[in-house]
Amino acid sequence: MVPSCVNNRFKTCSVLPHIITRIISHLVYSVNSVSSVTYAVSLFFFFGAAAMEGRCAVETWAVGLSGTSCTPRVKFGLGTDVFFCTGSDEVYVFSTQERKLTAVLQFPDPVSDLVGSHDKQLLYVACRSGVYCVSLQFQLSRAPSSPADASSSLAELKIPSEFLVVAEEGVLSVLLVGSVFLTLSQTDTSWMLTLYKSSNYEMLSSFSLPLVSGVVHSDTEGQTAMRKRPVLICVHSNDATPPSSSEATLTDGHVRLESVLFKLLFGIDAALAKSPVILCGLPDGCLCFLPLRHPGSRLRVLRSLEQPVVFVGASVVMERGPGHAQCLVAVGELGKVVLIKTDKGGSEGGGNRTGFIEGCVPGPVMCGCVDKNCLYYSTGSDLLVLDLSEGLSRREGQEKDEETSRKTEAALRSPTSLNVCRVAALAEPTCNTAGEVQLLGLSVRGQLQRITLPAGREDARLSKEPSALVGRSVRDLLSAIGDVCERASVLKTAIKSKNQILRHLNQVLNISFLLIASASSEEHLPIQEKPIRCHGVTSWSRLLQKDSLNLTCVLDNPSPYILERGWTLSVAVFPLSYPPSAGGESSSTNFSFPFHNLHPGETLEVSLPLAAAGEASFPMTVSCSLIFSLASLLGEEAANLPGLQSSCISLPLNTLTVDWLHVLQVNSPIATHKKATSQSNNTTDTLQAFLRSRRIRCSGRGEGGGESASKPEREYSASIRVSSELLRDTLLLKSSDLDAHVQKWPPQNVGLSLLEWMLSEGPGGVTTGHQGDKIALSSSVVHAQGPDGHTVKLTAKEVNVEEGSAEKEESQTAVEVQVESSSIAAVCGLHHAVLRRVQTLLQRAPEKAASTKGVQSLGLRQVLQRAEHLLQQIQQSRISGAFGVGVSTGQMTRSLLSVYRELRENPLLIV
Amino acid sequence: MSDKMYQPLSLLYRWIQENNELVNKCKQRGGGDALSPDQNKPHLRWCSSEFHKLLKKIQGIPPLADYLQLELTVVYNVCLCSTAQSQFSEAELLLTQATERVLQMTGDAPVASDPPVFWRTVINSVGDTALNPCVLYLLCLQWAIWLSTCQLKIIQECQDELFSVFETLSTGVWDEGRSELREKSSDIPLLVMDPRRLIELLQICTIIAQGAESLSEGRSSEALSGLQTASSLPAPRTLIAYTHLLSGSCLAHMSCPQMALQCYRKALETDSRCVCALYQSMLIYRQLGNTQAEIQGLRLLHSTLMLPFATEPALADTRLLSPSLLLRSQSLSSLLSVPSALSVLHNLALKCVHHGRVSDGVEYYLDLLAVLHSEDQHGVHAEGPPLPSLPELYLQAGAALLMARRPADCMALCDEVITTTLELLPEKVVLAEPEEKCEAETRALCAEGDDRVAMLLWAGAAYLLQGHCHTQLKDWKQAVTHYTRCFNLLVKARFKKGSFQPQIPSADMVGKQGTDLCILQKLKGLSLAGRGISFTQTDQLREALRDLQLSMQAFPGVYLCTYRNPSLALCWTPRSCAAEYRNLVLHCQPREKQKKYTHINY
Repeated sequence: MVPSCVNNRFKTCSVLPHIITRIISHLVYSVNSVSSVTYAVSLFFFFGAAAMEGRCAVETWAVGLSGTSCTPRVKFGLGTDVFFCTGSDEVYVFSTQERKLTAVLQFPDPVSDLVGSHDKQLLYVACRSGVYCVSLQFQLSRAPSSPADASSSLAELKIPSEFLVVAEEGVLSVLLVGSVFLTLSQTDTSWMLTLYKSSNYEMLSSFSLPLVSGVVHSDTEGQTAMRKRPVLICVHSNDATPPSSSEATLTDGHVRLESVLFKLLFGIDAALAKSPVILCGLPDGCLCFLPLRHPGSRLRVLRSLEQPVVFVGASVVMERGPGHAQCLVAVGELGKVVLIKTDKGGSEGGGNRTGFIEGCVPGPVMCGCVDKNCLYYSTGSDLLVLDLSEGLSRREGQEKDEETSRKTEAALRSPTSLNVCRVAALAEPTCNTAGEVQLLGLSVRGQLQRITLPAGREDARLSKEPSALVGRSVRDLLSAIGDVCERASVLKTAIKSKNQILRHLNQVLNISFLLIASASSEEHLPIQEKPIRCHGVTSWSRLLQKDSLNLTCVLDNPSPYILERGWTLSVAVFPLSYPPSAGGESSSTNFSFPFHNLHPGETLEVSLPLAAAGEASFPMTVSCSLIFSLASLLGEEAANLPGLQSSCISLPLNTLTVDWLHVLQVNSPIATHKKATSQSNNTTDTLQAFLRSRRIRCSGRGEGGGESASKPEREYSASIRVSSELLRDTLLLKSSDLDAHVQKWPPQNVGLSLLEWMLSEGPGGVTTGHQGDKIALSSSVVHAQGPDGHTVKLTAKEVNVEEGSAEKEESQTAVEVQVESSSIAAVCGLHHAVLRRVQTLLQRAPEKAASTKGVQSLGLRQVLQRAEHLLQQIQQSRISGAFGVGVSTGQMTRSLLSVYRELRENPLLIV
Repeated sequence: MSDKMYQPLSLLYRWIQENNELVNKCKQRGGGDALSPDQNKPHLRWCSSEFHKLLKKIQGIPPLADYLQLELTVVYNVCLCSTAQSQFSEAELLLTQATERVLQMTGDAPVASDPPVFWRTVINSVGDTALNPCVLYLLCLQWAIWLSTCQLKIIQECQDELFSVFETLSTGVWDEGRSELREKSSDIPLLVMDPRRLIELLQICTIIAQGAESLSEGRSSEALSGLQTASSLPAPRTLIAYTHLLSGSCLAHMSCPQMALQCYRKALETDSRCVCALYQSMLIYRQLGNTQAEIQGLRLLHSTLMLPFATEPALADTRLLSPSLLLRSQSLSSLLSVPSALSVLHNLALKCVHHGRVSDGVEYYLDLLAVLHSEDQHGVHAEGPPLPSLPELYLQAGAALLMARRPADCMALCDEVITTTLELLPEKVVLAEPEEKCEAETRALCAEGDDRVAMLLWAGAAYLLQGHCHTQLKDWKQAVTHYTRCFNLLVKARFKKGSFQPQIPSADMVGKQGTDLCILQKLKGLSLAGRGISFTQTDQLREALRDLQLSMQAFPGVYLCTYRNPSLALCWTPRSCAAEYRNLVLHCQPREKQKKYTHINY
């Protein structure tokens, strides 16, 4: 049975890699930004102003936590807000006006998609468990505003499950079309598109499309892979008059398509009914559509890209009317670009037909977006722009040219690089007042970036600046260099301090791996081989006329690493078993000792009270662990990483056991009386003390075998037999390579030496400190006082074990250790402790070929029979106890006790 | 006191407690707010898994008589939850395991897998002990599983056992014993569903399923007797209505339409939501040729279907196992299917127009179009025949408007069709012979070609209707223009037969009625005839004569068009046209002109 707190420690251990990754990514980011600045500076000196002009400006606005469960998403939200999620369970709200994060919404599950409703100021967020609907204004007004928050004005909101509006599991994409709310989810065999009323979330209908399984990459990705989000957009026909003026401006995820193409793609019915059409680009490569307002319509496949669809959008290639897209663009993950447009009928008089132009761009496409005539897409390592109008207009002009298609493909194949890396999601492009195109991107690490493209890239190179402006621009550039230098020096100092932290972190990691490896690889590693370990010394002390037991824990660092600032030694003490009165709860006490530096070879000694006399129940387990707090590593920078304050690494060291033998207060024969009387002074119940002292004296007098006659009450006893040969081998072998005073022992007095060994030293790193009055045992009988005040008697005597068998009569000497006390708890505890000691003895014993000599065969059989009988008895009483039939509790306890005693008596010989 | 605190509670008692708590939670949630089954699913799943865990614990010890009763009760609860979630094989496995444990306890050898024999053995081996009711409950569940998985044959075989169970349980022999114990209900394990309710439900559902099966196999009279006895059983109204409905269907099959109508009426009286009865009676009126009643029926059916769908207030105890779960046979669901509200509305409109109630028909058509354009309409699926495509509906509505003397509205509708289709019309359309159409080309191309032909015909028909409108307004010039546009559009079509080159189709190529080619030729004939008549009005007699002759060549028999009933444009016959023309057009024309053209009629 592993105590729960130990379990918790191991759990915190497993989050270690995650936290460390976060720290490192944080550090690396700042280091990167420094290097990019220095790079820019050097570029500037090499290429002058021309190099600066061609680059686009990237401005990092905010950083979110990056997650891995879903593709990130960034969207323009209500007013000037931007929503973004990075695949974790958080949605960030960024205000472009104030240029800062205004809110963090935390959902119970990882967020897969989000959509905002403009008129009602609602935000719909799809999580694994369903779709949540949050009214942002309401939430923000309700958020607690503490003075600390007021300065940063960042509201962290936990969204409870009351906001769950659609309890559909595994929703990957959501879309809002008028009063209809759509969800797209994936089952094992199909895609499910479900329509809900957005007023009351009543399900309207549901459509399914079978999953195409044989798509590229699908089998290599396991369940752990990032779930790809299908693309979901709504297409309106341009001659469909918008029902209300608010919808005249298209919201995110809605595009207006030129009517001829609309009719060609989606049919006359959809056009006549003025129905919006839902277009889905699925991760299995299908591009399918559903007319929303047509009876009996179903999901139909428009085209298959044969690779996961990453982006679907509409582009105004040749501008005819205001803002009516003439071309649908779909982009696959592996770089396939499909343009869908109207083809004017050829010579054979085919009328208008749908034209599909396919092309391929290099690289995996992570995300994309379109504006009037450009497609922007990110491969992860670069952001590229593809001019769609080039390919299409050429096609338009040279109608019958055979080379057209080839040229189109060539145009599609030559995108222009924008030199922005690690973009994972893009929102729709916007134009600022200066006519520059601005993109809103989300980097792989969760940074929200605004990317401003250089205005009129091609024209700029051709036009010459007027000479009057040159002087001014030089001045500007010089001041810009000054700025950059200043920034670089600040960042350099930052690098220095971060290097320091990294070095520190390296030490921490070394120690962590050292301890984790030793903890996981060999559970039964002998104590000496643990890299960093604790051992303990117990001692009784007397303070304020009260006896109390202290444990001195010594932390040893033989490893080559320094335990630096930030480490804490934590010691948890809890009983191995607990009395029933505790109500089944183990009471554990934690002590923690922070320390500064512990160099290799140094030790740290701490002392802690185990228990006052008569309070604790033994044996106690003392589990030691080292805790490292990450917050201390970063210092004041820790404030930048929310959630880090509470995170720390906990590494378990070893576990010590303080058992009954450790806590015995041995009475030397002379001191017995004195101690008993002195104790009677300080105990409140004098009568009881008197009785106890009487009893001790009685037994003391009857020493030598007569105590059974003078027993004032029932004595409990248990015994263990160990072969003397084994003891001789182990104890004497041990003594020979230990200190000298043990060698004085006469070899025949094995019993005495066993007792002395048991009392002086213990397995598992705990020793008993007897504070000077080193007991020199005169006889093989020891009287002692347990922690609960009961006297116990330990006897070790050599006996002959008779082995009766038909063939040969053989006798073997053994040492019988007998434990006697009037308290059953004491007997149990001591028996347990003695057994533990003998176990370690056995582990230590040298291997012997035929030590058992086939003895005990008869005895074994008898014992086995007896054990079987006892087992039956136990089972019977347990079953009857479980069903509450038959015997009463008292009876059952009695029968179990007798079984227990029978087990403890008549032990087997341990050889 | 303290002794009592530390005394370990009896396991039996604890398990009973756990079971009862779960049952209460199960019922509480189910009985509380009226949740749809979908929303209740997670809760049910949770209950089921909790019951499973409990059962695992109980089955950890060897079967003993003392607590086998508890075990069987828990098995009943688990299986009921599993069945309610349609996990039949899982439930069946649990049942088998439980009965095997019963046999193990009584010491009987496991028996053959033949269900009737098996259950008989189990019941006999238990004898008349306290376990008997528990085993019977399990048999009930087995019955439910058989019914849900449509294994009616096995039910037939086990009929004796099942009826004996029914009798024993319905007489309530053990009920006294249980009610006695009910006072200290913490000591007896509870059930998630009263077995008596369950068995009542099972009985009537079995009869309904069997009736539907026999009916679909044509053994109507056999089914009828069973269904009629079932109609007096205690059961939810819906199920009683089903028995009446099926009886009606049996009678209809046995050609007793009046008696069938009586049964349908009873079904409706029992359960007003039984739309199927309404639909079936409408079909019978149609069969009998009672148009008025049919239209009335359609109207009622439509208004019933438009009512907000009210969830049926289920009986407290049958909530877990709904009748729809037990009645899943194909034959029954096909008997119960009803077309969608839109389809009914379209039918209603068409019927009205065909039977002289044009103004009503127009209103229905306008309703239909309004529904199709409303934002609340979201492609709801429904069984039954799909609606015609939207342009066709527009044209039908336009024709109805024309008949109702609203030419302006008709023209607006036709305009819509024309503007939508015109941009997409190719220079040439090839009509292929239907037999070999799909052999040479791929299906997709074929569908696209079809689409183009359909578009051509829609645009042509729309022009024709506009021409008619202008004729009605006596704007002959405009009429000529529109008829000409129609004709010009139609000549774009070429006909391709076999491996020959596409050619201009002529009347002698029309093989079958109703094909695209036939319609094309008819439209040609009608547009030419219309133009001819318009020319006569403007006294361009030479042109008139030419057009009328051409019309005769295009489609012999269509000499004239009809002004009153163009909605039947696609199923006009020469005879009806002639009659219509004589009755209407010539009636209102000046006398001399009427005389002039009488020779054309015959």
